[in-house]
Amino acid sequence: MATDPAPVPAIDIQHLTVSYGPRPALLDVTLSVEPGRLVGIIGPNGSGKSTLIKAILGFVPRDFGTVRVFGQPVEEARGRIAYVPQRGSVDWDFPVTVGEVAMMGRYGRIPFWRNPAEEDHRAVAEALELVKMSDFRKRQIGQLSGGQQQRVFMARALAQGADILLLDEPFAGVDAATERSLLEVLGRAREAGRTLLVVHHDLATAARHFERLILLNQRLYAYGPPAAVLSDDLLEEVYEGRLQSLGPRRAPGGGA
Amino acid sequence: MTTLAEALSQPFFQKAFLAGSIVAVVCGVVGCLVVVRRMAFLGDALSHAMVAGVGGGYLVMKLVFGLEAHAPGMILGALFSAVITVAMISFVSRVSRLKEDTVIGIIYCGVFAAGIVLVSVFRNHIHIDLIHFIMGDVLGVTDADLWISAVVAAAVLSVIALFFRSFQVAAFDPVLAAAVGIPVVVVDYALTLCVSLVVVSAVSMVGVVLVVGLLITPAATAYLLSDRLDRMMLLAALFGVTSVAGGLWLALRLDSAGGGAILLFATAQFLAVLVAAPRHGLLAGWRRRRRLVPQQVVEDVLGSILRAGGRPIALGAIAPHVHADRSRLVHALRNLTADGFLEGGAAGWTLTEEGTRQARRIQRAHRLWETYLARAGVPESELHRRAHTLEHVHDEDAVDYIDDLLGHPETDPHGAQIPEDFVHLEGSASVPVSVLRTGWRAEVVSVGDAARSLGFGAGELLTVLPRRDAGATWVVGRADGTEVPLTHAAADAVMVRVLATGSRPPAPFPPQVG
Repeated sequence: MATDPAPVPAIDIQHLTVSYGPRPALLDVTLSVEPGRLVGIIGPNGSGKSTLIKAILGFVPRDFGTVRVFGQPVEEARGRIAYVPQRGSVDWDFPVTVGEVAMMGRYGRIPFWRNPAEEDHRAVAEALELVKMSDFRKRQIGQLSGGQQQRVFMARALAQGADILLLDEPFAGVDAATERSLLEVLGRAREAGRTLLVVHHDLATAARHFERLILLNQRLYAYGPPAAVLSDDLLEEVYEGRLQSLGPRRAPGGGA
Repeated sequence: MTTLAEALSQPFFQKAFLAGSIVAVVCGVVGCLVVVRRMAFLGDALSHAMVAGVGGGYLVMKLVFGLEAHAPGMILGALFSAVITVAMISFVSRVSRLKEDTVIGIIYCGVFAAGIVLVSVFRNHIHIDLIHFIMGDVLGVTDADLWISAVVAAAVLSVIALFFRSFQVAAFDPVLAAAVGIPVVVVDYALTLCVSLVVVSAVSMVGVVLVVGLLITPAATAYLLSDRLDRMMLLAALFGVTSVAGGLWLALRLDSAGGGAILLFATAQFLAVLVAAPRHGLLAGWRRRRRLVPQQVVEDVLGSILRAGGRPIALGAIAPHVHADRSRLVHALRNLTADGFLEGGAAGWTLTEEGTRQARRIQRAHRLWETYLARAGVPESELHRRAHTLEHVHDEDAVDYIDDLLGHPETDPHGAQIPEDFVHLEGSASVPVSVLRTGWRAEVVSVGDAARSLGFGAGELLTVLPRRDAGATWVVGRADGTEVPLTHAAADAVMVRVLATGSRPPAPFPPQVG
């Protein structure tokens, strides 16, 4: 919590290894994120960015290691984490309105025999206000622009009352203006004390968007301020690494 | 042939209508979940698989307890076979590389085949008419059928009403459902169980083959009309009842099988909604497309009115500049007026402020493209025609790039003024000196590296003087009267806020929309 005298890390990962087969998706990742940070997760395709998010959500079986959220094992802290899915993974034709999607964030707190209470409606209204989507609450979600759709899911995460927000590629396929307005929303959530982890694919904008970066490619290559993480040496190692590893395979024939 | 009024006085018909409506309501409600979950094929599979369960249940009750055609036994058997089928489907999908639809096909046909073999092998013990089972007989509904469907409907509807939110969120976003503590696996099994129950209670009326239609057709019809799942369920229930009413009427008129008539009516109802639905319907889409005026026509209209220089221009004077027939042009003018770009008067059409702004954007693109084409060596005779095509590429970033590439020219190859980059000049935005026009006055905001040596300070007032070297050198006048020449790079590096735009009054454009 914000008032805690000795700040407990928002996310504390120790020696995390996750695999879907012989090749681990994450290998011995140790990482500790302070509360209230806006953190970008970068790395090449298939580098385990989404797996890291799923591990923090507790959705993938861990081969080894621990994930603690505000000091608690992840299984006990699920209510404190909210997830904003990739746009491609949502059925935009689903008959559901903006207001209903935001209300879904509250479902964990509403007993099944009761209707949403005054408090729930207020949380939803505040969340929609924060992402500037109040005027659209009666709209079906398929009738929104890409950026608006992202903001609705941001609102849902906020309405959930979570302290940690995990976002999977929110900037994929949105234009520059939308990117700016989303960033503004992320910034406001951070000011409200939330910790945000954002999977990001664009190295060019990573330094501008985030205060901390996680550079991942199966292993954790770096975690720190963008200036330190985006060094040429590190990037070359992470992004060119796979190209170089093809070298030796070709080499034996050539004898080089 | 009986009339509807006569039919309604017959108990068998009343019973058929009542039972059919109960089943259709619950089918419609559950069908909504089936439709949004894309489980239609699974519904079909369950209805077929239960033949084996009904046969098995019949046999067990008869051989073990000596009860003939024991309804609860058959229902339990049907549920049992449904659960077995779903479990086998999920098991085989997990252990094989096959996609789920293939696995569903394999398993349900297997279980269905087992049911047929079972019923025919034990035909001396099981008195089930397979044809009745496959085709259903809504007009021969018994009291027992009626009671069963009423109990099933009450149970299933209560479960869905109580756990509506769980079903909704598990269907829409299982990841979130899990995250907020909803047991998604339990919800999935509950839904499968509900579908099985509904299918069991509906099979005796419309038969194995058509039951999936009763499940998904009214729901899909409602889907076309709804933006919310709860309203979709209400509508689906309504469409279910109208299908039964209409179908029974058809069956009487044509003296046909009841199940077939109900589904035929439901399908016709679906097609009618598909065509006529107010927002997602074919008619609405067609009307929308017809109303849509091609962007090229819009831009040609705006351009031709802008060139008239503020004088009202008549329809006949616009037409030669626009590639569109007259009715389309009239239509475009009407749309542009409705959108606030044009004003129509007795003397003709004029641009509104917003219309002028759009037109100038296009003009800027056109003239920059012309300059670009001239530099690229396109003969002068072709300049206009080619630029006319390219002006429709007027994305702000693309045009700014061309502008910069050309060194921010002030006039096009024909000597006409190119409109300035007014989009970036809005309000008190800071812009590089390079985009300013001759005669403008501005205040320095910041100075980049490329102009550091020139000694400008923040807050200093500058006047833009005519360019030299065919526009390649910018010249600014300082307050003390000295003139400073700037290269393109240096002019880009001096950021200023525009105070006065010399010859032209500062354009009071409204904030950019889209």
